[in-house]
Amino acid sequence: MRFEDRKLALPDRILMKVEKPARYTGGEPNSVCKEADPVRIRFCMCFPDVYEIGMSHLGLQILYGMMNAWEDVWCERVFSPWQDLDRILREEKIPLFALESQDPLSGFDFIGITLQYEMCYVNILQILDLAGIPLHAAERGENDPIVIGGGPCTYNPEPLADFFDLFYIGEGETRYRELFDLYEEGLPRAEFLHRAAAIEGMYVPSLYKTEYHEDGRLLSMTPVYDDVPVSVKKTLVKELDDCFYPTAPVVPLIQATQDRAVLEVMRGCIRGCRFCQAGQIYKPTRWRSVEKLLEYARELMQNTGYDELSLSSLSTSDYPYLNELLQELIRICSEKKINISLPSLRIDAFSLDVMNKVQDVKKNSLTFAPEAGSQRMRDVINKGITREEILNGAEMAFRGGWNRVKLYFMLGLPGERPEDVAAIAELCNDIAALYYETVPKEQRQGRVNITASSSFFVPKPFTAFQWAPMDRMESFLKKAAYCKESVMKQLNQKSISYHYHDSGTTLIEGVLARGDRRLSTVIETVYRNGGLFDAWTESFSLERWLDAFESCGLDPDFYVFREREKDEFFPWDLIDCGVSKEYLYREWLNAKAGKVTKNCADKCAACGCTSYMCGICISPKGGAA
Amino acid sequence: MSVTARFRFGRKGPVRFLGHLDMLRYFQRAVMKSGIPAKYSEGFHPHQLMSFAYPLAVAMETEGDYMDLDLAEEKPADGILEDLNSVMHEGVWVSRVSILGEGAANAMALVAAADYRIFTGYTKEALIQACDGLLASDSILIEKSKKNGKKKKETIQKDIRPGILRLEAEEDGALFMKLVSGSGMNVRPADILSLIVEKCGEDSRDPLIRRLEIYGEEGGELLPLSDCGGGKKSGD
Ligand code: SF4
Ligand code: SF4
Repeated sequence: MRFEDRKLALPDRILMKVEKPARYTGGEPNSVCKEADPVRIRFCMCFPDVYEIGMSHLGLQILYGMMNAWEDVWCERVFSPWQDLDRILREEKIPLFALESQDPLSGFDFIGITLQYEMCYVNILQILDLAGIPLHAAERGENDPIVIGGGPCTYNPEPLADFFDLFYIGEGETRYRELFDLYEEGLPRAEFLHRAAAIEGMYVPSLYKTEYHEDGRLLSMTPVYDDVPVSVKKTLVKELDDCFYPTAPVVPLIQATQDRAVLEVMRGCIRGCRFCQAGQIYKPTRWRSVEKLLEYARELMQNTGYDELSLSSLSTSDYPYLNELLQELIRICSEKKINISLPSLRIDAFSLDVMNKVQDVKKNSLTFAPEAGSQRMRDVINKGITREEILNGAEMAFRGGWNRVKLYFMLGLPGERPEDVAAIAELCNDIAALYYETVPKEQRQGRVNITASSSFFVPKPFTAFQWAPMDRMESFLKKAAYCKESVMKQLNQKSISYHYHDSGTTLIEGVLARGDRRLSTVIETVYRNGGLFDAWTESFSLERWLDAFESCGLDPDFYVFREREKDEFFPWDLIDCGVSKEYLYREWLNAKAGKVTKNCADKCAACGCTSYMCGICISPKGGAA
Repeated sequence: MSVTARFRFGRKGPVRFLGHLDMLRYFQRAVMKSGIPAKYSEGFHPHQLMSFAYPLAVAMETEGDYMDLDLAEEKPADGILEDLNSVMHEGVWVSRVSILGEGAANAMALVAAADYRIFTGYTKEALIQACDGLLASDSILIEKSKKNGKKKKETIQKDIRPGILRLEAEEDGALFMKLVSGSGMNVRPADILSLIVEKCGEDSRDPLIRRLEIYGEEGGELLPLSDCGGGKKSGD
């Protein structure tokens, strides 16, 4: 099929009525159309949020490019139709369609849904429903697509267990080929799923049965057949340089949230902050070589025409060859008039020098993420940044002409005391004072501008805090008010502005993050009662969720506010992401004792990931370049 | 010294649902990919010096729209045309490139009139009748909303009859028109279409509007923008 031959699924009359019609018309540069033959597998990749957000996601581009490079597979895309189109599709009974072919989703072999955040769960039901695919995996027949989930939320996919045939646990590059080969054998659905469960990383929720204690805690999850593994091991890429990279990503025709070329320099993070799930589930840290990255950068520029290139990873400052990479990148990019955007690097002499070269100092601010105000609390969460490091970085930056600083904190961390909250204000004040000490009056351009914001901490699976109770909303608001008050008391309060995010979704996010499969009915009830786009404050309704819990006879507090016992069996214990529960528990005890653990580059903490035999676990100094 | 190239381009199919800023971004990226030596603005975030003659409305197709681009060095028009077309995505194409003479006015300032064809579901007879009716009137008043200084919208009546230079029914429900465009008088094809709908009743199909050409005025004559401002053209 050629692009110009495509017939759009929506008539002009509808496209003219909806906001941003180009969300639904496809046909972007580098998108792929294929002939029916020799395609044997039609895969539709779904990001359950609006187009502009979904298209900003690197993971989607990776799988899209990788699958379309295979002759027998045609991978297409679909995103959540915005509320305006949602209404029209229902009224006019138009089935949801994929962007490329504009064909209805129901005719596809696979619907692959990426699970990036909990608050998109109801949107998944919208997609299935609009596509005419039965919501429950158990009700799907031989002709219905296989619904497969991937992404960070699959590390506890249990609340979605009823709706998915399969979860892919781990990095998408490794096992799809195997899965497709199996699919092409043409087995009946049940047999396909049963056999798929033997592939590394494949979790088939229907093949496990769950039992509960009388008090509601999970007792066990056991395979229903002997040949189904008792635990599902995350699959990952051992050598990043050898795997597919999307150097010709689809370039959105309307402005996406991240409208630039992306260069992923490494995966994983060496730092083990105790609140951070990404830091654990993407372990171990693996790097790409400078050589490869430069090659990708050149191809990206050639294939996309983007005027901005962004380096991506969890903690780019920890990329061992950053200096080497940036020197060359800056040279290539300035020649081609391409901007380099650097994600928040750790502030030090090196990063300041680089930022000076690639940004307009006057227009940009420095970013620090100390996450907690006091050193004591930073030790509890194992955030390896000290007051001295922050102040030194700020001082250097002030000398270099910066006068805006942004600081990110969390409130509601386990063991938090009033003095830790007040310390946020004090740290801000110290930074402001430092500015006035460092920069002579005649060189100042007005006041220094310090913006501090706090978000609400939500305990996540596969972190040291998976045992911890979540703070209550009242307590969070009280702490935020106290923090604000403390700011007002500071000498330099006029230079500091303090904000906090209380998105209202926190409780629900907390429940879904550590929930079990009984929550599927709650999600479905919320959807049936009109829930959609929960990640958007204006469409989220806490009421609707609380009503749903009530009508399903489940107590949200049970999932978030209790401290879990050491040996409690968690819904996600079935998944093996590399790090062991023993290690995480050690970290929980260390947190309680305020004891710091060294990062992977300094000293291995024996988290369990050595079993993957790759990355930093086997070459601590970075062996890729 | 600065050289400006003027591109005549078309778009059809699904890309017609892009807005004006999306088209601008589309062309900036295409220029970047093509290796055409665009001139860039100064500063930390340099950008191409690109401007369009007449922003395309969402859903409108075109065969003859124009974009001006400043070049860092003079290049033959033919080569530029080829370079840009080699990186065009389906549905957008460049049909002509002219290198403008020194001091030529920019495309937007030149716009004086444009041709359109609207594809409707009406019969030829119905269209002929409607067109004759419209052309026979001395004045055609339509309501236009005008933005006031203080963000207040007010509607005013405007006579667009002098702005209709040609209006003809064609085969298969197509309607051709030449309309005055510019800062003084500006008649949009949608204005005419709604007048036709008033006369013929609801259309059975979604009408498609295609712009065919944009003209500037030189020496009292309407010339396609690619012929305005002297200079060298591709194919010359
Ligand atoms: S530095 Fe800490 S918060 Fe950031 S990704 Fe690594 S572990 Fe997570
Ligand atoms: S095994 Fe050691 S080096 Fe490897 S990820 Fe775990 S803590 Fe880090």
